[in-house]
Amino acid sequence: MTQAVRFEDVDVGHELPALRLTLSSAAVRDYALAARMPAGRFTSEEAARAEGLPGQIVPGNMSLALFARLLATALPGTTLQRLSATFRALVHPGRALVVHGVVTEKHCTDRGDLLECDLVIESADGDRWVTGTATVQVSGVRGRGSATGT
Amino acid sequence: MTLEFDRSIIGTEFDRTAFAPISAEEIRVYASASGEPCPAPDVAPPTFVLRQRGDRFMPANIAKLGRVGFDAGKDIEFGVPVRVGDVLTAVSTVHDIYEKTGRSGSMGFLILRTVLTNQHGEQVALIDQKMMFR
Repeated sequence: MTQAVRFEDVDVGHELPALRLTLSSAAVRDYALAARMPAGRFTSEEAARAEGLPGQIVPGNMSLALFARLLATALPGTTLQRLSATFRALVHPGRALVVHGVVTEKHCTDRGDLLECDLVIESADGDRWVTGTATVQVSGVRGRGSATGT
Repeated sequence: MTLEFDRSIIGTEFDRTAFAPISAEEIRVYASASGEPCPAPDVAPPTFVLRQRGDRFMPANIAKLGRVGFDAGKDIEFGVPVRVGDVLTAVSTVHDIYEKTGRSGSMGFLILRTVLTNQHGEQVALIDQKMMFR
């Protein structure tokens, strides 16, 4: 079992190990159906083109799920408190994605010890398709009423 | 082009949907498709909440905003986790509506807020969806 991350072991500037993946058309369709988003633009290349899109697109919700997956993998044992994403460009299946992030702030609060993160989904060439932020609570440690950060 | 706004719709509830009890199979399928791990047995991955969308996605009179609409982003505050057997209710309201003018012209922004609660009245998630129109 993966060991839970400890608040004192994570510094501001800590880079989350990137997820590198290429979503297949079938994987995007399967997500869309599991997420109750059956619109053709998410499930079929042909249906997306018929809507005037260049091809099948990845649902924005799936980008949020990729961010959550990154955080669960890179910061095990933490609890996601807030997650946001800005969709800057269409994301298509069949293209290499890099999902990565960095810890930007640490806070000890009465809600627990919190880490703030900046998140990005970008192409292999560095084109930023989705940006986001997250707040995660590090479990097992209660806040001490002070704050540190950038 | 100047967009037409009816700010009187702010605060209007446009959907209230009660869902069937969450099954273990729904959670399993979502976790498998998203690659997002379940935090504990019988507990859904955090973004499972995005799946619980109401029956009506948009207010009825939103067509006046612009010709083309885009999903510009989402912001989720997570509450108590979703567990197998939970009975969730989603209530959606118009949270904000405003216009911005940039180099490419006027753009309208609509923020739709959905609050998801469980059978105990506990807040499961607060989801703000930003739609952009031009």
